[in-house]
Amino acid sequence: MTQQKQAILDRLKQGVIDYDEEAVKEAAQEALEEGVDAYEAIMDGLSAGMGVVGDLYEKKEYFVPELLMSADAMYVGLDVLRPHIKEGSRGERKGQVVIGTVQGDVHDVGKNLIKIMFEVAGFTVHDLGRDVPLEKFVEEQMKTDADIVAISAMMTTTMMGMQKAVEMIRQRNPNVAIMLGGAPVTQEVASLFGADGYAESAGNAVQEALKMLKNLREMRKP
Amino acid sequence: MADKEARWQIVFQPSGRRGRVKAGTTILEASRGLGAEIETVCGEKRICGKCKVRIETGFFERYGITSGPSHTSPFTEEESKHISAQEKEQGYRLGCVARIEGPLVVFVPEESRTGKQVIRKAATQRAIDLHPAVRLCYLELEAPTLSDPVADLDRVRRKLSLEYGLEPVTIDYAALRELSDALRRGGWKVTLALWQDSEIIAVWPGRVEHGYGLAVDIGTTTVAAYLCNLGNGELVATDSMMNPQVAMGEDVMSRITYAMSHREGGLGRMQGALIDGLNKLIRNVARSSKLTPRDILEVTFVGNTAMHHILLGIDPEYLGVAPFTPAVHGSLDVKARDLGLQVHPGASAHILPIEAGFVGADNVGVLIAEEPYNQDEIILIVDIGTNGELVLGNRHRLLSTSCATGPALEGAHIKSGMRAAPGAIERVRIDPQTYEVGCRLIGDEHRRGRRAVRPRGLCGSGIIDAVAELYRAGVIDRTGRFRKGLSSARLVAVDGRPEFILAHAEETAIGRDITVSQEDVRNVQLAKAALYAGARLLMRRLGVDRVDRVVLAGAFGSYIDTEEAQVLGLFPDCPPGRIYAVGNAAGDGARIALLNRHKRREAEEVARRVEYVELTLEPDFQRYFVEAMYIPHMVDKFPHLGALLGMEGAA
Repeated sequence: MTQQKQAILDRLKQGVIDYDEEAVKEAAQEALEEGVDAYEAIMDGLSAGMGVVGDLYEKKEYFVPELLMSADAMYVGLDVLRPHIKEGSRGERKGQVVIGTVQGDVHDVGKNLIKIMFEVAGFTVHDLGRDVPLEKFVEEQMKTDADIVAISAMMTTTMMGMQKAVEMIRQRNPNVAIMLGGAPVTQEVASLFGADGYAESAGNAVQEALKMLKNLREMRKP
Repeated sequence: MADKEARWQIVFQPSGRRGRVKAGTTILEASRGLGAEIETVCGEKRICGKCKVRIETGFFERYGITSGPSHTSPFTEEESKHISAQEKEQGYRLGCVARIEGPLVVFVPEESRTGKQVIRKAATQRAIDLHPAVRLCYLELEAPTLSDPVADLDRVRRKLSLEYGLEPVTIDYAALRELSDALRRGGWKVTLALWQDSEIIAVWPGRVEHGYGLAVDIGTTTVAAYLCNLGNGELVATDSMMNPQVAMGEDVMSRITYAMSHREGGLGRMQGALIDGLNKLIRNVARSSKLTPRDILEVTFVGNTAMHHILLGIDPEYLGVAPFTPAVHGSLDVKARDLGLQVHPGASAHILPIEAGFVGADNVGVLIAEEPYNQDEIILIVDIGTNGELVLGNRHRLLSTSCATGPALEGAHIKSGMRAAPGAIERVRIDPQTYEVGCRLIGDEHRRGRRAVRPRGLCGSGIIDAVAELYRAGVIDRTGRFRKGLSSARLVAVDGRPEFILAHAEETAIGRDITVSQEDVRNVQLAKAALYAGARLLMRRLGVDRVDRVVLAGAFGSYIDTEEAQVLGLFPDCPPGRIYAVGNAAGDGARIALLNRHKRREAEEVARRVEYVELTLEPDFQRYFVEAMYIPHMVDKFPHLGALLGMEGAA
């Protein structure tokens, strides 16, 4: 790798960490001018930057505003780079996620953060929004054949509906990985409700999801 | 459960203190470590029986744990000296004996608690026009004769019509049963109690001078009762208690969940616990005024929507999920006896109307007390509890909303947080040069220069101060992040994360540092952002870009430092001196409704008129919320505050 290319990737990464949209835009344009592969610029620049942001968020050094502003900066870079991704270099998608806030619950800031982190990590995300009827999770999973269903609840009352959702999804497709998250949810609740994973925060959701997928794929091996 | 290395999750109620403790620890030891503070007189010699606690049974969604008696060491002979068979059945144990052998939810009954909570729900001095719904009428009647053998009730009616112009009047069944005897014992001189000039609810022989009424504010945490003389409006006695339902969940959502997950009798248990508590409260206020519960002729209630439903035994489930519809909007009058209240058998209970799913009768109480609908100025009323309720507007239009502030501002879910009780830090000052800390404690009179109490934790007003002061001292930046590279003995890293020590272990009553952690700051940011964003979105809806006055209602509002609250960005900029606390306005509203029936009509009207705004449906809600997480705000300016403090970034 040339030093120049590395410098551009570093600037993309740092621009995302510093939530500096201008810097990211400039670095992204420069990447194209200098012939850096767009896919590489996205993965080793923007996405790597969001990885650092996720860690900072996990450590509570970054908070919701910083995470969102970093994501905005990343999307600015994506807009520049995406049209230039070469056919075939897209790489393997990590998987598909159906995500939504459970029926009766209209809080979706947390869900939106998790969605960003999944997108950053290379997942295809199907966002059902908020106040999502339980059967809609089942339908969407069947339609898209998603690997993961991620359900969020912000209130203890609506959290109760998650158990039913898990049951319904399992019944139709025992092989899908189900992940729960949201303020009232704990690891204990997720286990009790029969979910495969629990996202404590936007910072560790993707790690959890990858672990969950790995376990499930191993289990499915003949 | 032989695993001696295991650490189990334990939750103390009602304090909500929780944490993991080693298997084999006694409940008392655990409570000390977690700051839940159980009383003990004998020094754990198992003789005083003071440390009685109740082991709760079942699955607790709120904490994700299953608790039960099998998660403790077996009941011992020694305990049976202090614990009756019935109590044993209910799960009572001695904290110094029972050892933890699994996850537990432990309820600490009031008598076993040290550091009794300071109930900050005193009544405010207010002038109230006197038009009570219940009034006394003294009548002197002619005795019946063979030529005038008209029935007793008709005789009374005839006289009421003649002397008071009141007709037609019905009579409560319980009063009817006492009527004939009272007339004769009084020699045809009686005093009647009339409700809304339409129903005779009580009758006494002879002349009775005073009738009494009770105004009750049912808070999620605290229930306050105000005994008033209906004849002159005088506040005779005030008493309060912790809401007994706290054992079934510490916030509104967990109460609703309790009703949902205990289909068999869960709602009844919560209602029963409240009614039992109210009856005790009623006996207390009556006794302290040398009255009897029967002297109470009417009871008025305010409370949030969930408390309202549970009081009435109405399933609160649908309040807890979108679209958050209540069972009933308007005010209600039911017989107090139908609720199980032990007051005069003819007494009515008047429950004030509610506005919307999350804005209840307590807020209506605030409205009739503060009357924003009679003003020209734009007023923002902020009532902070687990939910922050906001009202904005003036005589032309009123908007209301509810913001999910969470429990952080009440001291819960804060590392060193506690309720407002003796030893709670309620004021904090941090020297920006030296980082030296000055604290004021609840219950600390500073008698003769000696500290009467030592700090135990931080209550809500202390948390607001602490975070605002950390910001002013430059320990945290406007994003809320602890600055790097500062050096002070007060700044420490715990598990690699920064914390600021407000009180060192040796100065405290708990033997541990009292700190503010990065996570605490984040929780406060979430809470204050919810409130601020709510206020801003209401302002946008109303089409105003400033407010003339900020009124802080609720017990909590009375104790926060308004300047620090502004530094933190709890509510939008407002001229100094135009932000003020009005005390427990909800409770005052209940008292006003008790003493002035015209205000009940006003309450009905305003409850219908106020437009409820669902914040999460407002366009740009997320942006408003996120921008408000900064201290004081990411983009909004605070010219008044900036001028006041000479602060950078504020103006």
